[in-house]
Amino acid sequence: MLLISALITGLGLGSMYGLLALGFYVTYAVSNTVNFAQGSTMMLGAVLAFTFGVTLGWPMWIAVALAIILCAVWGVIVERVAVNPFVVRGSNSWLMATVALGIILENVVLFTFGKDPRGMPPSVLTTEAFYVADIKIQPLQIVIPVTGLAIAVCMQYLSTRTKYGKALLAVVQNADAARLMGINVTVAILAAFALSGLFAGIAGVLIAPLFTISASMGTLFGIKAFAVAILGGITNPWGVVVAGLIYGLAEASITALLGSTYTQIVTFSLVILALALRPHGLFGQAAVKKV
Amino acid sequence: MKRVLSISIGRRAAVAVFVSGLAFLLPAVHDEARAADPIKIGQVAALSGPSAQSGEAITRGLQVAIDEINAKGGLLGGRKIELVQRDDESNPPRGLTAARELIFKEKVAALFGGLDSPVSLAIVPLVNKEKVPFIGVWAAATPITRNGTNPNFVFRVSAVDEYVDMRLLKHASEKLGAKKAGLILINNPWGESNEKGLKAADENNPNIEIVGIEKFENNDVDLVPQLTRLKQAGADVLILVGNAAPGAQVMKSRERMGWNVPVVSHWGISGGRFPELAGPTAGDAHFVQTYSFFGELNPVGQRLLAALMKKYPEIKGPEDIFSPVGTANAYDAMHLLAKAIEKAGSTDGDAIRQALENLGTHEGLIKTYNNPFSKDEHDALGPDDYVMVRYEGERIVPVK
Amino acid sequence: MTPRIAVVSLAAILAAAAAIWHADGYQLYTLALVGLTAIVGIGLNVLLGLTGQISLGHVAFYAIGAYTVGILTTGPGWSFWLALLAAAILAGLAGVLLAVPALRVKGPYLAMVTIAFGFVVEQGAAEWRDLTGGWNGLMNIPPPSAFGLDFSEREIALLVLALTVASLWFFARLSRGPWGQAMRAIRDSEIASQSIGLNPVVIRTFAFVLSAVMAGIAGGVFASISSFISPESFPFFQSILFLLVVMIGGADTVLGPLLGAFVVVLLPELLSWLAEYRLLFVGVLLLIVLRLAPEGIVGLIAKLFGKRDLGNAPRQTEDVAAFLSRRAAPQGLAVKGLSISFGGVRAVSNLSFEASAGEITSLIGPNGAGKTTALNLICGFYKPDAGSVSVGARELAGNPSHRIAAAGVARTYQTTQLFGQMSVLDNVALALRRGSLSWKSLLGGDADAAEPLAESLLAFVGFAGPVRQKAAALAHVDKRLVEIARALATRPDILLLDEPAAGLSSEDTERLGRLLRQIADLGIAVILVEHDMDLVMGISDHVVVLDAGTKIADGVPETVRNDPAVLKAYLGEKQTKGRARPAPWTPAGAPVLAVTNLSAGYGAAPVLRSVDLDVATGETVCVLGANGAGKSTLMRSLSGLHRPIDGEIRLAAQDIGALPAHRIAREGLILVPEGRQVFPELSVIDNIRLGAFARGSEDLSADVERMLDRFPRLRERQHQKAGLLSGGEQQMLAIARGLIARPKILLLDEPSLGLAPALIENLFAILADLRDEGVTILLVDQMAGLALSIADRAYVLQSGKFAYSGPASALAEDTALEKAYLGGA
Repeated sequence: MLLISALITGLGLGSMYGLLALGFYVTYAVSNTVNFAQGSTMMLGAVLAFTFGVTLGWPMWIAVALAIILCAVWGVIVERVAVNPFVVRGSNSWLMATVALGIILENVVLFTFGKDPRGMPPSVLTTEAFYVADIKIQPLQIVIPVTGLAIAVCMQYLSTRTKYGKALLAVVQNADAARLMGINVTVAILAAFALSGLFAGIAGVLIAPLFTISASMGTLFGIKAFAVAILGGITNPWGVVVAGLIYGLAEASITALLGSTYTQIVTFSLVILALALRPHGLFGQAAVKKV
Repeated sequence: MKRVLSISIGRRAAVAVFVSGLAFLLPAVHDEARAADPIKIGQVAALSGPSAQSGEAITRGLQVAIDEINAKGGLLGGRKIELVQRDDESNPPRGLTAARELIFKEKVAALFGGLDSPVSLAIVPLVNKEKVPFIGVWAAATPITRNGTNPNFVFRVSAVDEYVDMRLLKHASEKLGAKKAGLILINNPWGESNEKGLKAADENNPNIEIVGIEKFENNDVDLVPQLTRLKQAGADVLILVGNAAPGAQVMKSRERMGWNVPVVSHWGISGGRFPELAGPTAGDAHFVQTYSFFGELNPVGQRLLAALMKKYPEIKGPEDIFSPVGTANAYDAMHLLAKAIEKAGSTDGDAIRQALENLGTHEGLIKTYNNPFSKDEHDALGPDDYVMVRYEGERIVPVK
Repeated sequence: MTPRIAVVSLAAILAAAAAIWHADGYQLYTLALVGLTAIVGIGLNVLLGLTGQISLGHVAFYAIGAYTVGILTTGPGWSFWLALLAAAILAGLAGVLLAVPALRVKGPYLAMVTIAFGFVVEQGAAEWRDLTGGWNGLMNIPPPSAFGLDFSEREIALLVLALTVASLWFFARLSRGPWGQAMRAIRDSEIASQSIGLNPVVIRTFAFVLSAVMAGIAGGVFASISSFISPESFPFFQSILFLLVVMIGGADTVLGPLLGAFVVVLLPELLSWLAEYRLLFVGVLLLIVLRLAPEGIVGLIAKLFGKRDLGNAPRQTEDVAAFLSRRAAPQGLAVKGLSISFGGVRAVSNLSFEASAGEITSLIGPNGAGKTTALNLICGFYKPDAGSVSVGARELAGNPSHRIAAAGVARTYQTTQLFGQMSVLDNVALALRRGSLSWKSLLGGDADAAEPLAESLLAFVGFAGPVRQKAAALAHVDKRLVEIARALATRPDILLLDEPAAGLSSEDTERLGRLLRQIADLGIAVILVEHDMDLVMGISDHVVVLDAGTKIADGVPETVRNDPAVLKAYLGEKQTKGRARPAPWTPAGAPVLAVTNLSAGYGAAPVLRSVDLDVATGETVCVLGANGAGKSTLMRSLSGLHRPIDGEIRLAAQDIGALPAHRIAREGLILVPEGRQVFPELSVIDNIRLGAFARGSEDLSADVERMLDRFPRLRERQHQKAGLLSGGEQQMLAIARGLIARPKILLLDEPSLGLAPALIENLFAILADLRDEGVTILLVDQMAGLALSIADRAYVLQSGKFAYSGPASALAEDTALEKAYLGGA
């Protein structure tokens, strides 16, 4: 029973980590940069959904959709303000710049949304429940991993079945050749950052009913998702998703087996160990070195 | 020779920074305080970050009290009180730096602390050395006031973990008939302080034993694994230590796994919108308070509530007062301090300390204080001042 | 240290001491924090500034130092000084521990490892309660004492001042000494640093340890000045602030971290009245500083006010010839049975040859023959699957490259690998050490003693620019020369040169030839990989020819040049011909592509020099020329991949010279790039469809069908990933991908490269079909004979200029072509 409940917890958390980590993947693959403050974009999604849906009382589906779209817009802003200006002059400072933008976002939210953590009102997703062999399961616990997986599958579909999806994959695989096909790489990079924001927004909206909504809700989540992206080998989308599930399951089962005291120490030590043994992540591949 | 150039260039920059550094040194030169100058009171608390609203709650209590005092003409023959706030970012070194600034640069007469025990613990040695009274209005770690220094400049108008922990176990065994307590504690200094306190309380309480201790993080989403461990250990009551948001995660996880175990909680869950955050099971948690704005209020309470609603339009009633203990403790503490300053007749730290230790009677919000502090007791509130309450909807009602 | 600097430093120190003397308790504490933060920053600068490694977990070392002092002075009651020593040692050990995984990872992976380390230490401090006091930390940590006197804040601040000054002095010495230079070398080019004998693993680990020790010492003092520490004193955010100290101040500068510490510590204090809005303000400010001062405050000021002293041209004061010829006995290089495969492809197979001391041995062959791979095997950059590499009697195969370099094998690179941010002089002076770094030289040692010899070497190779110029700022030819000087500085027995003449003018090439001869005459075995056949044939004593990884000829230049196997490898089978047009063809109408005065290049060196070219509608034109003549640059310039360019490119009368590549493609100029560049993870069909990306949302099914009809092999494999196709199939795919865009003109860059002969014939048959169907084609290919046989017109490119243009049939009979490829007699 302990392990089954750990399994459910782990899958739910793991798909969140995976979703957020996909945001790191998609920008890194296209442009070799990431929004280091991805966790704050997730927070933005939850905060906006709450503001539109609860504070302003708009219909929930509009609130959620708008929140996710605005997160995608935020992704574009991050690229324009904190990434592109540094990349064009060959500087690595985008890392710090995205951190700075994350700090700004969190503090602006702190003063506009309020210092008081808020909670989504109960909905069918959390009040109804069913039992599987004595284990109580709320619909949300099914919805989260299913949505996470659905998005991964959806991405897979879009990128392999649609023209623009394939164009994005083409940029990932060979940016110069993509240019020769008439693909605008600058737009592709912006699209990647928008997607990255979109994923974070979806993660934020999904996690909002489970979690409390506040300016600092995303920080640790973002760092764990970065660990997941790195463990998955950041250039391999399915590797990233699987690494998310592994990380979530590892956290839950370490808590279940060893107790919660050592969860963080053990998981982060495992991250170091895993990278020491596989320097390009669990599912990443080393590039061939050339002179 | 190679680096010479960049060194000499750097030196020009150094001069520039040095000049701006002078700006930093300058405000040290102060005139002696004149009679009409305001009396500055410092506040070092978390104003940003996850604990930001605790700082806000304290500010409200202090500010309303200060407004009342100033409206009556201030202290020491017309000197107004001015609150100087600094953000400690929940980080002890930052808090210590801020305290130093307030003491040396702003020359505050006394300091109020915030939520985070380590920040207060970091400030304790400084205030004892510099002889500036420091009044804790939230942080409950036992060693803050019992720091082994004599004379001791650290006072507290707040709960003390040690006493609260005894009360929690007592409530669990006597009121709820529980025999096996599972502890679910926030993984931070406060949680750790209570782990010690609860263990000590357990030794002295033969009716109940601790069967499991689990920790959780501020940002944990799902605590089912921790709770499942406690369930398997046979716990028939949960003792919860954590603030409203993470505490709500405990309640939600408990609901999710369908475990109807009673919950007895430290006061942390009252800071913030616990009923909204925890959802339908919020009322299952019994918790300790020093003060509640619900129910019939004493005259001081009525006055404070009215003042809060006037000054902060977002407060429409008791349910909008997040972190009520922070506001209540701070309000009483400010009035106690004002009384002591008036009694001491000066803003000298040692005089204020002695005045605080011989304060006489004060009609306060939480209770009527009768010599709240003495040379050996620097905690104004004790186990008898705690009440066990629970949420009923948005309202806090006493547990019968 | 010049007297002026000494005086200014002393004055600054005295001023700081005076400030401390007058400061109050708050200012003392804040100034001490500035100092401690500066010390951590200086340490981090060793890591970030000198070796270019990022750490987002530096607070962990700071915490380890603080806890060591806290625990040892409160528990067992050690003296502060002893505890501080222990703090330094423990932090250093932790540095070694972290270096083990950290050295294996790079970039974001390294960032993650350090972040995780920071969290593990923070959480460990919280959980190891018996030792650390858990979350509630350690209280009442005593201040240091000396001579029976307990330090007050004032004395501690003075102690911090002393430590800060010592750290600055140490960094200044380290950074200009050989260790600092070696760290920079690894940062700028890890590959090249190994080829001058440096061991990156040792040097990186050392940087990690140094950096950790300094953070540990600062942390130890921090514990005693704040007298209370807890895990919350060392949050993740603090690591970001430490990094910020270095970045704001200026990485790889002596005073940068100090200035950065002033800003990072004092600015929030000056802004403390902002209370809760301070972090917001800091975030905005951080963004602004990063945007406006990318190289930090020191960098910004240097840019505004500083004039960099570039130094003079080198003077030859030392006897270079004597230095280079000083050896017991001349030693040659012997290679036997050398082989390596990549993913099943034999890149070099059973290669044997000898290069004698005092001779120039050239390694030539068409593109992709395995020449550079052979060099990489010799110098240890790749580990051979089989075979031996020996210098004199010493067997070197299988050794890491820094050890092979130390054994006397030096090399240069196809794209120069100088240490770009170091001065020309330092590039060479560092190499003089041949990788040996003594502990004595840690503090700089005799940093300047090697300079006269380094200057002399620069003068010897003919470098005439200023010697203190940054290497990255040099012109192309100078980079080549400096790289040769750097290689010579290791006093090698064997000198490997990888295409040293690429991109050089004919005059420069001629001088290079004389230089190489001179070097060989000093008893060094020179091994040259080169495409410039005039140079190769002119100076080589011995030529080894490779094709497809195998040696096909070996001998003196005259023999090799007339070897039929060599001619075939370079020019293709003379007798195989593509299909010429059935009927002669005459152009009609305006040219679809008209290029006038096109110049393009990399950095200061133009690769193309004012070329004119035009292609009429329906015409097939080929551009021939040796490798390095500028053919690829031409194709990249036309397609927009290479920008900026001078001159004019008109596609159907529209000027496309300023357009980016994707716009040019949409205008109908389609390049089938060198090396196919198919999208390996996409299916064949998807690759083809992407070719029509620019066509909008038309229905492509019919066009795709047509492509599959044309290339039946592709139909068979239409659902496979393109990366799994053979080279020939990939080329078909690349052409299909180009054709489906309905190009106004189709450019093909080396389509036959790396294909088997049968496939090449097939390829040219297809090109002939396209031509007959009326597709306009501009073709660059090394199969000169075949290309000419299908083309209407040809250009021959030599050193960035057209040496010939005219009908293809006329050129096929001309010897000018052979000369362009294999050099004139």
